[in-house]
Amino acid sequence: MTSKPVLEAESLTKTYRSADRSLTVLDSVSFRVEQGNSLAIIGPSGSGKTTLLGLCAGLDVPTSGTLSLMGFKLNNMSEDDRAYVRNQYVGFVFQNFQLLPTLTALENVMVPLELRGEKNVAPKAKELLERVGLKERMQHFPTQLSGGEQQRVAMARAFITAPKILFADEPTGNLDDENASHITDLLFGMNREEQTTLVLVTHNLELAQKTQRILRMKGGKLMEDSNTSI
Amino acid sequence: MLEYIIKIKRNTTNIFTDAFAWRMAWRDARHNFSRLFLFIASLITGIAAVVSLDSLNNSLQQDIERNAKELLGADLVLNSNKKFEGEALQVIDSTRYTLAGEAELSSMVLFKNSGQTRLIRLVALQGDFPFYGELKTLPTTAYAQMKSGAYAIMDEALASQYEVSSGDSIKIGNSTFPVAGIVTQIPGGGGLAATFAPSVYIALNQLDSTGLVQFGSRITYSVYVKTKDDAATEALVKEVETLSKKFGYSYETVQRRKEGLGEGFQSVYRFFSLLAFVALILGCIGVASSVHIYAREKRDEVAVLRCIGSSGWQAFNIYFIQIFILGLIGSAVGSFAGLGIQQLIPVLFSDYLPMEVSFTISWSSLLLGFVLGALVSVLFSILPLVSIRFVPPLTVLRADFQATKVWSKTRLAAIVLIILFPISFAAFQTKSLLTGALFFAGLAVALGALAGVAWLLLKAVRTFFPAGAPFVWRHALANLFRPNNQTQMLMVSIGLGAFIISTLNIVEESMLSQVEFAGNENQSNTIMFDIQPPQKEGVLNLMRDNALPIHQVVPIVTCRLSEVKGKSTDFLQSDTTDSISDWALAREYRITYRDSLTKAEELIKGELHKKVSGKDSVWVTISEGMHENLKVDVGDSLVFDIQGVPLKVRIAGIRKVEWQNDPPNFIFVFPTNVLENAPQIFVTTTRITDQSLANKFQQELVTLFPNVSLIDLRLILSTVQELFDKLGLVVRFLALFSIITGLVVLAGAIMNSKFVRIKENVLLRTVGARTRQIVQITLIEYAYLGFFSALTGVLLSLGGGWLLTTFFFEISFSFSGLELFIISLGVVSLTMLLGWFNLRGIVNTPPLQILRKET
Repeated sequence: MTSKPVLEAESLTKTYRSADRSLTVLDSVSFRVEQGNSLAIIGPSGSGKTTLLGLCAGLDVPTSGTLSLMGFKLNNMSEDDRAYVRNQYVGFVFQNFQLLPTLTALENVMVPLELRGEKNVAPKAKELLERVGLKERMQHFPTQLSGGEQQRVAMARAFITAPKILFADEPTGNLDDENASHITDLLFGMNREEQTTLVLVTHNLELAQKTQRILRMKGGKLMEDSNTSI
Repeated sequence: MLEYIIKIKRNTTNIFTDAFAWRMAWRDARHNFSRLFLFIASLITGIAAVVSLDSLNNSLQQDIERNAKELLGADLVLNSNKKFEGEALQVIDSTRYTLAGEAELSSMVLFKNSGQTRLIRLVALQGDFPFYGELKTLPTTAYAQMKSGAYAIMDEALASQYEVSSGDSIKIGNSTFPVAGIVTQIPGGGGLAATFAPSVYIALNQLDSTGLVQFGSRITYSVYVKTKDDAATEALVKEVETLSKKFGYSYETVQRRKEGLGEGFQSVYRFFSLLAFVALILGCIGVASSVHIYAREKRDEVAVLRCIGSSGWQAFNIYFIQIFILGLIGSAVGSFAGLGIQQLIPVLFSDYLPMEVSFTISWSSLLLGFVLGALVSVLFSILPLVSIRFVPPLTVLRADFQATKVWSKTRLAAIVLIILFPISFAAFQTKSLLTGALFFAGLAVALGALAGVAWLLLKAVRTFFPAGAPFVWRHALANLFRPNNQTQMLMVSIGLGAFIISTLNIVEESMLSQVEFAGNENQSNTIMFDIQPPQKEGVLNLMRDNALPIHQVVPIVTCRLSEVKGKSTDFLQSDTTDSISDWALAREYRITYRDSLTKAEELIKGELHKKVSGKDSVWVTISEGMHENLKVDVGDSLVFDIQGVPLKVRIAGIRKVEWQNDPPNFIFVFPTNVLENAPQIFVTTTRITDQSLANKFQQELVTLFPNVSLIDLRLILSTVQELFDKLGLVVRFLALFSIITGLVVLAGAIMNSKFVRIKENVLLRTVGARTRQIVQITLIEYAYLGFFSALTGVLLSLGGGWLLTTFFFEISFSFSGLELFIISLGVVSLTMLLGWFNLRGIVNTPPLQILRKET
């Protein structure tokens, strides 16, 4: 018996119009991800992997095909409804961290819960920051933190809502080896502890091999869907 | 497995209850206030302009109301160019009210201390004038001393100019008067009139001793009346109206003076309103522009917020709260700054006001500024802020992702309100919807014309720019045409500032050129008038003795109209259906006779009758313009009352007269052989180029012919010049509002393009451009921008200036190429300075540092 899919894509196609011609960047991609699984999307530049991630996370809508996230059919939703779904069920980690520069590390971590209207969220945010090793840096602004530290704040922010699914776009792409290794450990460690589903886009085969499953993209098409030894 | 679709029920909160939005607004703003500097600067400048000018107007209106009686010095003033005698005097005396008398005429004065002479306004006073207000002198006893005998007091400016002090003597006509003191304040006096004709005051009973009251002398007699109350004044006015019609008197009441002054200030206020309107609109553009920059800077942060679950409205609310609160702060600061600036205005205006103005704080202006500021900050920030609602969250993954433009209801409503706002504001300011709409239309036409000229210029430059020009010049020019460039918008905003300044300069130049004829070769610059027939040869001989050319000797006969086209002037004045102006019917005309046209005249209709033979009808010519006022044409009849003798004439022709060219010029010119025996006086003109000769001649003239007055046109020229210098200062001070706001808009627009420039410069440096080359490219680009903007403004100001001088001021159009060049140079330098100031950090930063920041 298969468990409930957290994410289910069926014939996803994305076409952009550029001048007087259309460009298909994603061509009829179908797959599904079950709760607690980890998945890596790999492929060369321009293969459509970031577009696929954006669609899966509800950041954009497909030109055709259907997409369901946590049972919500994203195609038919307004942008604000999709934002609500993201806030309730999704976490993000980006290559360039995407912290709000005007907020401190602590405030950055608190934002997703505050958006839900929750009160007294600081203790939980502090706890997460301690967990990622930033107890002493909570009141620092992003510009006062190193790249590795910023990514750890981003991870704390991603996990504070206890997301059902975490999307990570090249999470170690902007980090040196030592920091990359630290972030990788944290990402997979927290993923296991929180039983979060992980979808990650990477060029890094070594990182991809740490997931249970790899989708290989090329020219906008899904070329291979294989399980790893994990 | 897509069957379990759930309908989402989100908890939506409004801006007032959304604690997250308020918390985020504060967190985000605490380190961001400097980024909103442009926004707040635009708002403060615009609001300060409106408040200071509105408050000034309120102060003036209040002071006119409060000091109305002091402006006139009495309840009623009756004026005539004849002495009050006979029946009229009886009627006035019978009122038993307190009376004071005055006679006023132009005369030459000889300052004994220096031997210099000058044409002045001689005021001979009798009785206890003023009844309201105070005639203040230095020393304080001077006025009493003047009334006690043969003493004179004079305007402060005149005494200061000719270095006259108490105890010195002046000669007026045949009499010498010791100077008792100076007049520092007089009801109804001072102001602009005193700049042109400074006054000397003597007692009325001393006037005859001067010998100035002769046939043909232009003297205005006034009787000041103090009644017991307003009702008594009203009753008296009814009696005076009858006298006025019967004897051709004019009268003025406190109410009339107040209305006249109010109307005068209303015109000034309309001009101020226009400046405030322009400053406010520029402020609005500044607000919109700075919020647009701000919203663009916040795009990435909004994308992150959207990504982690913020709704579009929540994100909008965060930044709207910031803008609104800062808008309130800016409105308050702008309003108080406006009141502060208003305190400076009296310093600039004091010379032109006929009273002391108190300039009290106007709470209504303060409230207006506050409300207006809040309104502007909301209205003009909504449009750029609405874009925040539609920032696609996908931007976090693809920074260059562009969302399709969404036409929301909010956006449409904002556009409609933005169009309605300037019309409503202008209508509110001018208290007329039509004027408001005209203001708006005027601004729209001006901005449209500026945009059109800017577009044409850019097109021409792109088409004709030499391809072989050096790299930095070509590259700097190409920068103006970069994608998403704001060149045309910048040219319009900077061009508007240049347009205002240049138009002002052109109007000033045109007005000055009207009086500069005195400087032309062969033109008369000295006019002598009030020459009695027995004095004519003596005056001409004196001119010959001093080797002065005699340009004209013109006879002048004074008369009034008694009939126009067969109807008596009395009848026409009482007939409410005819449209002939009463002043044209009742005024005294000074006419001449000759058999030819002067070089200032051109016959545009009819013919010229040179001489009357035997019992021919008398055919006269009339000046263009006056024939419209009197509603007469060629062939129509008129009857003149010439010193009691009626003379019927017909209009033979209409002359176009260049009034400023070789004066004196006349409304009516009779043929010869008609008026030669009528009582007359003469005017003669000459040209004196040497100042010492002018002084010597004037002294001799005043000594030998004390009643003859002399106008030195060079003195008038320098007075007009001085007046313009002062008025120009006031207008420039007020135009400064528009310019400062324009500069804020410019700074905003430059900052707007900053990010594009960073990338361009980094790219150039990466491929090997040296700092010097980047600096050159930057400066040349701004020089182009400043130059094209100045050219746009100046070109348009030539058109605007021509329209203003031709149709509004009705004077010849004239401009100084050099001064317009200097204005353009100023605009170019300012633009370059601002551009450089904005970019200096970027140019000096290593490319890697910027590249890192960009990733």
